[in-house]
Amino acid sequence: MNFMEKIGEYFRLALRNLKSRHLRSWLTIFGIIIGVFLIIALISLSEGMKKSLMMQLRMLGGDLIFVMPGGELGDMMMAFLGGMELSDADIRTIERVRGVETVVVFPYAAEVARHEGTAKVTFLVGIAWDKAASILKEDMGYQTTEGGFPRSGKREILIGSLVPKEIFPGIGVGDNLVIKGRKFTVSGVLMSVGSKQDDSMIILDLDDFRAVTGKREGVQMAVVKPNPDFDVKTVVKNIETALEETRKRRMKEDAPAFSVITGETWSGLVENIMGIVQIVILAFASIALIVGGIGIMNTMYTSVRERTREIGIMKAVGAKNSAVLTIFLIESGIIGIVGGLGGTLLGIILAKSVEVYGQAHPMFYITASVDPGLIIFGLVFSLFVGCLSGFFPARRAANLKPVDALRRFE
Amino acid sequence: MIKAIIKLENVWKIYQLDKVELLALRGIDLEIAPGGFVSIMGPSGSGKSTLLNMIGCLDVPTKGRVFLKGKDIARLSEDELAFLRGKTIGFVFQEFNILPNLTALENVTLPMIFQGASLTEREKRARELLISVGLKDRISHQPAELSAGERQRVAIARAFGNDPELVIADEPTGNLDSATGKKIMEILANFHKKQGKTIMVVTHDPNIANYSEKIINIQDGQIVADHQKTKQTLWPK
Repeated sequence: MNFMEKIGEYFRLALRNLKSRHLRSWLTIFGIIIGVFLIIALISLSEGMKKSLMMQLRMLGGDLIFVMPGGELGDMMMAFLGGMELSDADIRTIERVRGVETVVVFPYAAEVARHEGTAKVTFLVGIAWDKAASILKEDMGYQTTEGGFPRSGKREILIGSLVPKEIFPGIGVGDNLVIKGRKFTVSGVLMSVGSKQDDSMIILDLDDFRAVTGKREGVQMAVVKPNPDFDVKTVVKNIETALEETRKRRMKEDAPAFSVITGETWSGLVENIMGIVQIVILAFASIALIVGGIGIMNTMYTSVRERTREIGIMKAVGAKNSAVLTIFLIESGIIGIVGGLGGTLLGIILAKSVEVYGQAHPMFYITASVDPGLIIFGLVFSLFVGCLSGFFPARRAANLKPVDALRRFE
Repeated sequence: MIKAIIKLENVWKIYQLDKVELLALRGIDLEIAPGGFVSIMGPSGSGKSTLLNMIGCLDVPTKGRVFLKGKDIARLSEDELAFLRGKTIGFVFQEFNILPNLTALENVTLPMIFQGASLTEREKRARELLISVGLKDRISHQPAELSAGERQRVAIARAFGNDPELVIADEPTGNLDSATGKKIMEILANFHKKQGKTIMVVTHDPNIANYSEKIINIQDGQIVADHQKTKQTLWPK
């Protein structure tokens, strides 16, 4: 009998032992299922979330440079909320920087818009069509599903994909929208970019935006298209230096606060944040798995106590320590791997259900990323937890002296 | 001279119970030659089970040496000892000690698994053994479906699984009624007569000792008499 046949025999014995205590075995397995289920479901969902975020970021364009007021991440949040702005002087400074081809500003504001008697607060974005249309189309990947891009000076607007679905149901190309008493015509509906905010926006010509909101100056974000002959990093550096100098000179600021970032920085940022989120998720889900592992250990210790005599008999009839150890390890390994299979299966089912739900409800953008690596990880990890938790009970069983083991009446 | 299967040299076994030392065995010298049928007799607490554990190499002496097939067991690793013991010695216990979740057949094949016998080899031999102990119709039964006597027969079949030279039976009829006990002893005697197996039985029942050729009396951890069965020592059947 070779090694594998021997393992096969031990496997059969182990399976027999587990079956003879099936309720306890299943309860223990259930403990592992919960742990692995949590890990697989949460990781695949967060991985899916990361992927869709990265996809949205890619739409921002790889080579574009974003200039925003506020230096730190916290300031950036302030800028988004409208607390800080770039002045026209800042924009002019950026335009003069070496290597800058085009500067497009993206001011935004919330205003009430009316369509066929319903009035709603909408998210308005002002874009200079003559300058920005090509950047939107070519660098940021904006496309229309209906109609086309507006022509400058025609009071035409673009609406996000969610506007006809949720804000003004049924609105389409050629329909009118009234904002602050001015009438605009929808020229096109944008394809979804995958974020609720962006898909709800109404894009106006910059001049119209200024007129409607009454804001003459100041933007929350400027997008810079660098000259392709220049290195993006150099341009970023140039912009930073130029802004710093002008601000210091003009406004006597000690520490001018603004951020110059590229799509790459964004991706890095998202990757970092999602990385932290995933580590936290993994840590919490692992606690569940550790509890499951303790369950295995408990079951196996009980089993060793109950079966002390059996162990004595096996040793008396010639079982080596390694044989006893192997049989017990196989038992805990089976608990681990069966729990792992069950947990993986349930985890994938949950993740995929959430994804299907997300596809049915456009509000809820989430995909599940179940890659084979994750499944293998789930199975290997649960097997490892099973064997690790079974090791100490198994070693205790293996090291029992046959005469002591036989004498026990339990 | 024929080499002894088991040889005990000045074997002492001392149990430390709190502050009291219990001398279970006190300087036992014994040789078990192949082919005999030996009984170990003695009152409870005389040390006969301890002696049996020594002979069966299930325990190690506090002092003195035990040789299994000429090898000092103190010099063998646990695994080597387990393998050699499994090959050389078969055990029959008072409480049968068959594994409850294995069938009769699987219980008998168990010692052969640890010796590395192949599946077909194991099942063939186990079947033959079960038939020879009269359990032809019980081969795939679980222990719970067997009577006490049948369980002990499974245990005997298992003891002979690896074709051992020596089979040690510790009060094999202790949990059985006298009629069943007699059948069990006849099965053991049969293995001895027909296959020339060495059988060693621990008992306090003279009727059981009657089956043996040699009786060793033990008292207070010492052998007090070691004699061939004679008319004087023969109890009426």
